[in-house]
Amino acid sequence: MFESLLFAMLAGIAIGCALGVVFHRNPVHCALLLVGVLLSVAGIFILLHAQFVAALQVIVYAGAIMVLFLFVVMLLNIKGETPLLTPGAAKAFGFLFALIVFVELIWTAVEPAPEGQGMPQALPLPSDFGSPAALGRVLYTVWLYPFEITSILLLVAVIGAVVLAKRKFF
Amino acid sequence: MDLATLIEAVVKVHVVLGFVLLGVPLIVWMERKVLGHMQDRIGPQRVGPYGLLQTIADGIKLFMKEDILPTQADKVVYFLAPGISVVTALAAMTVIPFGDSISLFGREIPLRITDVNIALLFLLGATSMGVYGIVLGGWASNSKYPLLGGLRSSAQMISYELAQGISLIGVIMITGSLSLNEIGRAQEKLWFIVPQFFAFVIYVVCSVAETNRAPFDLAEAETELVAGFHTEFSSMKFALYFLAEYANMMVVSGVAITCFLGAWHGPILPGPLWFFIKLTCFLFFYIWLRATFPRLRYDQLMAFGWKVLLPASLVNLAATAVFLTVKG
Repeated sequence: MFESLLFAMLAGIAIGCALGVVFHRNPVHCALLLVGVLLSVAGIFILLHAQFVAALQVIVYAGAIMVLFLFVVMLLNIKGETPLLTPGAAKAFGFLFALIVFVELIWTAVEPAPEGQGMPQALPLPSDFGSPAALGRVLYTVWLYPFEITSILLLVAVIGAVVLAKRKFF
Repeated sequence: MDLATLIEAVVKVHVVLGFVLLGVPLIVWMERKVLGHMQDRIGPQRVGPYGLLQTIADGIKLFMKEDILPTQADKVVYFLAPGISVVTALAAMTVIPFGDSISLFGREIPLRITDVNIALLFLLGATSMGVYGIVLGGWASNSKYPLLGGLRSSAQMISYELAQGISLIGVIMITGSLSLNEIGRAQEKLWFIVPQFFAFVIYVVCSVAETNRAPFDLAEAETELVAGFHTEFSSMKFALYFLAEYANMMVVSGVAITCFLGAWHGPILPGPLWFFIKLTCFLFFYIWLRATFPRLRYDQLMAFGWKVLLPASLVNLAATAVFLTVKG
């Protein structure tokens, strides 16, 4: 009861903030509302006993990436003068794609799963579920290769950024 | 949750809050007094014995001052920004252990508000949210100097956060836990400053930068930016920024003590008392730094963070990992 109440509250804040991100004219306010979305999603992670993921969500997304967003918005000094709706074809395409994603989501939610492929029975959680130790163990055994490949991908991105920034030396 | 647990939690929250709110004027007084003596002056001495009540008087003065709202300011964000600074600083205080547990009225009472198993990450999260208070304060004032101060501090804090976080990983690897309580307990025999000396040095340098204190106080460099991000703030909003800065000093000192300087452990005297002695020494060190070093230039600051501290912390991390693996 208490948990579902908390979930409703956090989900409500997340949705409200997300709508604000889309409809607010001032880019700094939009960025702040996005921080609100990220924080309430972190709260939902905690409700799911995934404290480690919640902490990373706050540190990485809300604490680092969004600060850089704000940094750029402030540096470029974008004023809230851009029109709310882009005209013509862009608007039509945006509407179309949003509709497709919406229908797809509704479809997966409504359609009954084929025999034997439904949602698995809920198992009791292991006692250390969501703890850094448990997550680390899975990450470095089961998902070792995807993890290493991701790290190489990030390294490539870093080097690419440096090369782009220092182009005048080449 | 029974009534006793609730009462215990409420009492602890109030004790810690009171400790911070009373501690901040004392630190400010200590800073002015120590700085005064280091600069061959006397420092405050008129209000109360040894000028002890000077900061209280200043606080009352700030309360009474007019709260000025710049006409071009973004009202909501301008109002929110100092609050964010204070809330994140106080939130970080909740996980710092002041001592082991004590028995009172037949209950085992741990001397911290809460002990979550990701305490250290919670702390880093809270400090990383603290950047917003300064950045938004600078932006919402809608004035040149605060904006520059806010931009500087956002870049500075993000850069130094990395090395700060990585320098703490060595300690986490030794204890195998993110709980500050466990880390504190593990240092009964040997303080972690001994095996993790370089990490300690990196952490201290980064924490000075994180709290925007001299010699890293680029966000409010008076000679070039008037007062940086809080130029336009007056009255209690300014006081809140002031409070947040000193509360943040207490937080980073508390983490340094818990992770490197043996937490509450020490001979003869009880645990919490040792914690407060260490805290006072650390804050004195902070003030000493301010009196000693001139402010860095901005490009020097960024180069130092990225080209010296970050590689050094990574080398320390790798060395610790190799050592722990070889030792088994």
